[in-house]
Order: sequence, then C-alpha cells, then structure tokens
Amino acid sequence: MTTPADVEAMIARVALGDRAAFDALYDATSAKLFGICLRILNNRAEAEDTLQEAYIRIWHKAGHYTAGGYSPMTWLITVARNRAIDRLRARRRGAEDIDDLPDLADTAPTPEATAIAASEAGRIAACLDQLDANRAGAVRGAYLDGDSYADLAARYGVPLNTIRTWLRRSLLKLKDCLAQ
Amino acid sequence: MSDTYEHKQEDVALAGEYALHLLPAHERQLFEQRLAEEPALRALLAEWDEGLAPLADATPGHAPPAALKRRVHAALFGAPPPEPWWRRGAMRGLTAGALVAALVLGIVTGSLQQMRPAGPLYLAELATTDRDLIVEARLNAGAETLALVRRAGGPAPGRALELWLIAEGASAPVSLGLLPQTPGPVTLPLRPGLPAVLAGAVLAISDEPAGGSPTGAPTGAVLATGTLGQIGDT
Repeated sequence: MTTPADVEAMIARVALGDRAAFDALYDATSAKLFGICLRILNNRAEAEDTLQEAYIRIWHKAGHYTAGGYSPMTWLITVARNRAIDRLRARRRGAEDIDDLPDLADTAPTPEATAIAASEAGRIAACLDQLDANRAGAVRGAYLDGDSYADLAARYGVPLNTIRTWLRRSLLKLKDCLAQ
Repeated sequence: MSDTYEHKQEDVALAGEYALHLLPAHERQLFEQRLAEEPALRALLAEWDEGLAPLADATPGHAPPAALKRRVHAALFGAPPPEPWWRRGAMRGLTAGALVAALVLGIVTGSLQQMRPAGPLYLAELATTDRDLIVEARLNAGAETLALVRRAGGPAPGRALELWLIAEGASAPVSLGLLPQTPGPVTLPLRPGLPAVLAGAVLAISDEPAGGSPTGAPTGAVLATGTLGQIGDT
C-alpha cells in the first residue's frame, strides 16, 4: 500500500523534474482524484479533462508543495477539487445540463485506489455530527458535490442571506471542533 | 482585543467559505489577493483544507482510462509515455543467461582484469541480431560509473545512439547518455539517484537525432537490448 510518506517522496522528485516519479505518482493517486472529479462533475468526459488539467498543474506546482504545509494527499485532492469545481461553476454559467445523469454505474469503484491511508484520522466526521443535520449536509454538499450557496438555498428553501449566515456560523463551530 | 478576535473569526469563516468554493466572485478575488500577501491566511486555509480532506475518503476511486495518462504525457512532454517495448518482442539481443556466460568466457582476455571493483559488477552485451552493432557495458556500482566499449557498429550519419536503463518495475527508461561517436572504450559517470536495483535491469540502445532524444524518452527505433547480470562482488 502506498503510504503518505511515499506520496510525499514522489512529489519531491516530481518537483525536480523526475518523470518516472510523476508516472508513479499518477499511478498511485489518479484513481482517487478521478473519483473525486466524477462525483463533482457527474460527467465522464469533463472529469477526464479535469483530471488531465489537475495532473498538469501538479507537475508544474510540485515545487510549491513543501511551502504550503499540506499533507501530500490533501494537496493533490485540493488541486483536483479546485479544478473540478471551477469547471462545474463554468458549466452552470452556461446551459443547464439536463441530460448529465450520473453515469458511474458502468465503472466499478477501485478498492485499491482508496487504500492510501489518510495521514491522520479525520475529526471532520465527528465534528459534523455535532452540527444540526441540515448544516452538516450543507457542508458535505459543498465539499463533495460542489454545491453553491444558490444550490443550498434552493435545497433548504431559505433565502441566500440566511443560508450564508447559517453556514458561516457552522464553519466557526466546525473550526473550533477541528482544532481540539 | 475583541476587534482582533472578531477580525480573526471573520477570517476563519472566510477561509472556510473559500475552501468550500462558496465565496461570490468578487469576494473570492479579494481573498485571493490577500492570500498572496498574508502567510497567516494561507496557513489558515491550509488548516481548513486539511480538516475537510478526510471527507473525500468516502468517495470511491475510479481508475481513469489508460489513454488519459498518454494525453497528460503528450501535453507535458510532447510524447506519450514509453510503452513497455522492452518487454515485448522488440528485444533483439541475446538472452540474459547466454550473455553473461559469453562475457564470463570473454573476461580472461578482456580489459576487465584491470578493474578493481569497489562494489558489485554488472555486465551486459547489447547487440543487434545480425551483430552489426555490439556494445559492451560494464557497470561498476561501487564506483558509480558505466564503462562502454563499442565493439562493432555506430550511429548513422547525423544520428546518435542513446543508452537507456530500465530498472525492474520502473515505469520509464532513464537515459544514461549518448554512445561515443568513435569506437573504443569510454566511461560515463552515473547520476546519483539512479535506481538502486541494477541486477536484472535492462540496457537498451535507441536510434535518436544528433544530440539525443529531445523528449527525455526514446523516440527512435530500439536497436539492441541486454540485461545487466551481476558477475562479481567485492
């Protein structure tokens, strides 16, 4: 199983221009990042384009990794998520994609791909449990599905200002809990 | 003091919203400007990203299509990742066992006796089937050098012969440099960080433009391959 230390070592070598290390990093992490892109975008072609952009960015930005204080998988996941949500928002500024049904049924999840251990046990699940179920759902929706304030306001049937106030309060509680 | 606390809380909320991609466009721009200038804010954002990341653990992985890796390579390096041609029938050299045996017999008369290996010694002969190109490679792992002797053949006019090392399990060949233009022995220093596992690694020679491969991966025909067999120890 690839450990976070392994991933970190690969990123360090990628920063030096080591293409073999880049290949190894891709092999070890692309399934995880692809799964994240698929979940946000619900569209294979867009997820593929996004994954490609993510790894290109990873190649160019690997040298900045150590300066950021991120654990290796979080850094990779954040790069992929950022690109996926940017694309999602760009798509939504355009036409409504009414025939973008979730098409994950034709591909099986890859168990090995999720086997990279998190560098620390996630307090986030326990902290979200301390919030009201709707608030926790809103945070999860934003992180995992790329929901915007407009999406969340529609889902919970409240005005934009209200959802933002709720969420900001929830974030402050979450941060306190995460810091414990 | 309460101003500072409220200011800090405001930043905590902003950074959380930013991490969740919830900020409206103009607020996002302002936040990104601040990120560029405020290390403390960057650290706060990193805390949020770290704290939220385990949410992704529940998302199942999906293997992307194989073609995607090739597209990434094409976009970054202008060439697809090398297919495992060295594992297929393209190998024209002799089998590893026969190579090492032939070399062991040849040692008696070769210049090998002058070598004082400080570490394990590896040998390979790379030759085309019709033996119009023959290169002997002697790898002195302790001295971190590769001695090459071009026994027959050479680069075509305007072309170069490039030597590659493929360690077992490696995903891509590593260039060891160009073969000399003139026959006779030459010693190449090895870059630090080459794969530690050399026994069983394959050496290959490809035909490249003058100056070597422009892409960092073999671009021309593979002319000869050979497997490094360990024959000596300190």
